[in-house]
Amino acid sequence: MSGLELRHVRKAFGAHEVFPDLSLEVEHGEHVAIFGPSGCGKTLLLRLIAGIYDPDAGDILMDGRSILDLAPDRRGIGMAFQNFALYPHMSAFDNIASPLSAHGNSAPTEHVREIAGLLKIDHVLSHAPRALSNGQKQRTALARALVGEPKLLLLDDPLRNVDAKLRYEMRLELPKLLRGFDATVLYVTQDYKEAMALGHRIAVMSRGTIRQFGTPEEIYYQPADVEIARLFGDPTINLLQLQPEKNEGGVHIRLSEVAVPLPGGDTLPTGRECTVGLRPEVLAFVDADVPAAIPVTVEAETPLNEKVVSLVRTSCGHELLVSRPAGTPAPASGPAHIGVDPGRLLLFDPSSGDRIALQDAVSTRGGSTT
Amino acid sequence: MSTNALTISEVDKIYGTGSGSVHAVRDLTMEVAKGEIVALLGSSGCGKTSTLRMVAGFEEVSRGSISLAGRRIETLPPVRRNVAMAFEGYSLYPPLTVRDNIAFALKVARLSRSEVSEKVVGIARLLEIEDILDRYPGSISGGQQQRASLGRALIRQADLYLLDEPMGQLEPQLRAVLRGRIKHYIKERGLTAILVTHDQTEANALADRIAVMEGGVLQQFDTPAMLKERPVNLFTGTFVGEPPMNVFEAHVKGDDRRLSLTLADGFSLDYAADAFSHDVREELLKREKVVIGVRPYAVRRSAEGVPATVSTSQWLGDQTHIAADFGGHLLVLVEHDRTRLATGEAINVSIDPHNLHIFDPAGGTAISHGMGLA
Repeated sequence: MSGLELRHVRKAFGAHEVFPDLSLEVEHGEHVAIFGPSGCGKTLLLRLIAGIYDPDAGDILMDGRSILDLAPDRRGIGMAFQNFALYPHMSAFDNIASPLSAHGNSAPTEHVREIAGLLKIDHVLSHAPRALSNGQKQRTALARALVGEPKLLLLDDPLRNVDAKLRYEMRLELPKLLRGFDATVLYVTQDYKEAMALGHRIAVMSRGTIRQFGTPEEIYYQPADVEIARLFGDPTINLLQLQPEKNEGGVHIRLSEVAVPLPGGDTLPTGRECTVGLRPEVLAFVDADVPAAIPVTVEAETPLNEKVVSLVRTSCGHELLVSRPAGTPAPASGPAHIGVDPGRLLLFDPSSGDRIALQDAVSTRGGSTT
Repeated sequence: MSTNALTISEVDKIYGTGSGSVHAVRDLTMEVAKGEIVALLGSSGCGKTSTLRMVAGFEEVSRGSISLAGRRIETLPPVRRNVAMAFEGYSLYPPLTVRDNIAFALKVARLSRSEVSEKVVGIARLLEIEDILDRYPGSISGGQQQRASLGRALIRQADLYLLDEPMGQLEPQLRAVLRGRIKHYIKERGLTAILVTHDQTEANALADRIAVMEGGVLQQFDTPAMLKERPVNLFTGTFVGEPPMNVFEAHVKGDDRRLSLTLADGFSLDYAADAFSHDVREELLKREKVVIGVRPYAVRRSAEGVPATVSTSQWLGDQTHIAADFGGHLLVLVEHDRTRLATGEAINVSIDPHNLHIFDPAGGTAISHGMGLA
């Protein structure tokens, strides 16, 4: 039984239809990252589930039962927001206990302390929010979301307003913190690294629709379209407009006049341009005598977090970014050669942007990513 | 004439007087060679922007001198310094199109119309703003305005190019390629540039050398590689590098044959004494406690290593970031491949002595990097 299901949800504000028809099924205990640009509907999705808004049509179910007729506080949902939204006049303890007290329960001190201990804020429970660091505020908000032992936890970009270092630490720590709870988690983010790091699966949203719903591997290796390919990866995927050619040896594309085979490309419609996607780490500097080495000119070398990214130009004038782990030698400027792993090349339809499947590429990929 | 384009000599900047004064820049001396790209890097309030504004001529120096291309400039008005600028707040002229804004910078160059037009289109193509050349600044996005302002600065002939957070507002998909193109453009023409940024990714990508500032004081001025390999103190060591350096307190023990750094009971990094020079050993053994640092990329998994327990393993497409419990401390490892590790999995990690940075726990000064003294 799925932990959360949205069935054909429609929501409009006046003439503005945000969700024409949205469906999503999340497994019990699964962590799903909702990823997309601002304005794509991520936050509205959480609000519909939380009961802050009602859908115009469709149904929302938890553990197989519709929750639409339940009041927000009866849905078994915990929420944390990017601006923390702590009550400024209450101590951290009272903030955490507030969902319980709202139900008329006397706040069970032990339970609040236990959760605070897990989140390492037990030493600041008597502090008011203004006396807490941003990291502590964020943990207090998370503790408040978890204290009612929700079946579903909605996290709306909770790391947005903390500094880069803390954000990184929390990204590493969050899965461990959540492990103690049995909740299904929806995690909204605009940061693809957070989505890949925290989501068992990622729902990529764009303009009120879910463009792709899959594991980080599926999204990264088999993006549904060119836009998704561009959103995942740093540096961004190289995109070239090229026309695949067919000859007796199979189908290939040309880079600097050198033929690069397209495995499984026999079924491709030839005679028209495709968008070819090459992630920077799929390209590598090679010696000139390596078969199918592609001559290029290195224009600039830009180090990036223990990787080195080189901007190179092919003899046809195409720019490509090539990345490699720092410490591996390569020419810093001037003439050089690069090689392509054809199994990891991506092709997209130039008009729709949809990915064109290369059958053999999938099996090749399986072997090269261990 | 020296080969330095810019010399900043014993410069102070003090805002206000008396007890309310703020000492924003303290005794700053640095030289920028002709054709060099230098980044001023630090968090807000570190003094980098005050430095930039003194070089540009928007702020007076409280003490010291600044020379550019062999001329003293610290008392000259901005327009007479021959410095090209792309600044926040040094904005585009609203009544002019993007094209005219950029071309305006060429006015003094006395070029023919076709030459001007060719240069404007060239820089616009490089910065991906060719299709908005005929629009007005008010009708384009912040990122586009930033690129137009960068184009207006780079197209000029100047002794120095000052770029303030030049790519902060760009969409991430454009950043990597624009960094490469801008660096190529600057290097190909032998231009001298200073960029001010709080973003170390940008500084590392573009700069030949980075000046790390904190509290108005220049902490270290070095190449990106040297900043990573030989940080002068714990501040630069932990400030530069993404993800940040792992840092632990450790007790030192040793004799003629062994040297051990103990993080907690049962968690010791043990080295043969000759993994470190005699001088390093002497410095370390003088102290009971030291702070040891190791970069996430330098932590290796190996059977002989110290036990650690995986708490999280996160794959980001091109790298795997692993968090592990290491004697009660958080240890971060980064690997360039796809690594599949389960939560709770036992691993062993080792740190090669040449990847070890050791700092004095009192002042944070570096004692050693690898086997040699800092």
